[in-house]
Amino acid sequence: MNRPAIIGSSALPVGRYQTPDDAEHHVVEHELLAKLVVDAIASAGVDKSDVSSIICAQPRSYTRQKYFSTFMANYLRLQCEGIVMETFGNGLTAALAFDKALDEILLGRAKVVLALAINMETSTPSSEHMKDSLRTTGDVDFHAPSGFTPISWYAMDAMRYMHEYNVPRTALASVAVKNRRHASLNPLAQYRDPITLEDVLKQRTIVEPLGLYEVPPRGDGACVVVIASEDVAKSLKKPYSVVRGRGFFHEGAHQINEVPNSMIDFVAAQRASATAYANAGVTVADIDFAEIYAPCTIVEVLASEAIGLTTRGRGAFSAEEGVTTLGGAIPISTSGGLTSRGHPPYATPLYNAYEVNEQLCSMAGERQVADARLGLLMNELGNYNAALIHILEAMSP
Amino acid sequence: MKCFPTAGVRPYPPRVTSFTAKFWQSLQHGQLVTTRCGACNALTFPPKPVCPHCWADKQEWTTISPNGVLYSYTRIHAAPAQFSQALPYEVGIVDLKENLRVACRLVNTSKETLRLDADVELVAIQYEDGPLLAAIPLQIRRSTDIKFLTDISDMLYMKS
Repeated sequence: MNRPAIIGSSALPVGRYQTPDDAEHHVVEHELLAKLVVDAIASAGVDKSDVSSIICAQPRSYTRQKYFSTFMANYLRLQCEGIVMETFGNGLTAALAFDKALDEILLGRAKVVLALAINMETSTPSSEHMKDSLRTTGDVDFHAPSGFTPISWYAMDAMRYMHEYNVPRTALASVAVKNRRHASLNPLAQYRDPITLEDVLKQRTIVEPLGLYEVPPRGDGACVVVIASEDVAKSLKKPYSVVRGRGFFHEGAHQINEVPNSMIDFVAAQRASATAYANAGVTVADIDFAEIYAPCTIVEVLASEAIGLTTRGRGAFSAEEGVTTLGGAIPISTSGGLTSRGHPPYATPLYNAYEVNEQLCSMAGERQVADARLGLLMNELGNYNAALIHILEAMSP
Repeated sequence: MKCFPTAGVRPYPPRVTSFTAKFWQSLQHGQLVTTRCGACNALTFPPKPVCPHCWADKQEWTTISPNGVLYSYTRIHAAPAQFSQALPYEVGIVDLKENLRVACRLVNTSKETLRLDADVELVAIQYEDGPLLAAIPLQIRRSTDIKFLTDISDMLYMKS
């Protein structure tokens, strides 16, 4: 059986790279990404000529170079006989690049595949940036006219969760403290200075009840993950991670279900995880750590409950009690998560895959999860209307 | 349903199609309508020319009750440029008694009335360029309609 494996990776620290239109010297996406590709292929220990597919997350609309994947094939003079393509799907954009890269291996079309993502947006002010995001989350004619913002849906999740489970806001806020501690140990993280619960609670409100440290910061980033067939991975005589299971579910709703349901159940995550655990032949108890796409504190809580990592109604308390912290029973978001490692949205899922691989190959340094054997990677779109889960396993040569 | 004229135009106006025109025109006249499937009887919102449940194309227009409960809400303090003048403003999710979920602006709220699971009703805010749905708490201070109008204008425009 030829399972797909991660054999190499490279990423920029999440930060601010995008230059304004009037800059004397611009930072351009293809220059950044080309260096990362070379680094990633070197870290994998394979040759340029081994690569036969490029799956690229579609960059932001601010990226001037269009048809970016085919432009990158040119820029790197990479001839490919598998496929060269871009993926798009809101928050899942780079997760689809990862997933389609795996498919190239599973279909036998390629032995080595590049999954690429770059997200540049920070020179565009938030109020301008959000003009476009109005169109992404919700019905453009029946929701957007009311002024819903992408994270306003998560804020409403938080209000409902606190109401139903009698959870104080301080418990939700503790997720931000926990993730900042993780980020302090991650050289790729955008925000690394440790913070206290008081620091989180005193920030200005963005969407009630969530303050500045409980919502995603704006960030630029780029990440490359090299995927190969397991026979190639084995031949390299070094640790790698293999994709052992996958699950996907779209609940057939966009932000809200027009038939009232429990919005905070995250049905897509529940269903995708059931599929992924079965597909991998594992149970939730076998998972050693998880890297979860969670733009806000509440989202990590609801997502980890939905896939069974924490108990229903207890997810926020689990962060407070150290259960989901490094060294706890089930560390979640060891990278620092979206609130602290940073969130360049169309690249974030590849950063998540990068972190899972770092942990499984024992390359996570100070934030290493002891004896990490099985890692869960989950990405999403909308208000967790769709979830895509991969379960990866550590393999030794 | 209640209608509240207000000054100004909608910050991000919806597109009207030849199909949804019936909804928007009705809303302009203070009537809440949507589609019901002639095959499976399911209501749907927003109105659609095809039933999303059974995919039949036997949709019929029907008037529905504007009454429901507030499933959740938030107050937005950072918004797209089009909405920055209205900041902060409240949006919510309303579960109608007819078993439909609607997301819209909340207006004329107060600390006492803005509660999850509280009774709310959908109303039409009549802007100069057309209507939008909004929700108001049912247990509100009963004052004059004029007072209402002023309150809603305050909610929509006069905060800064």
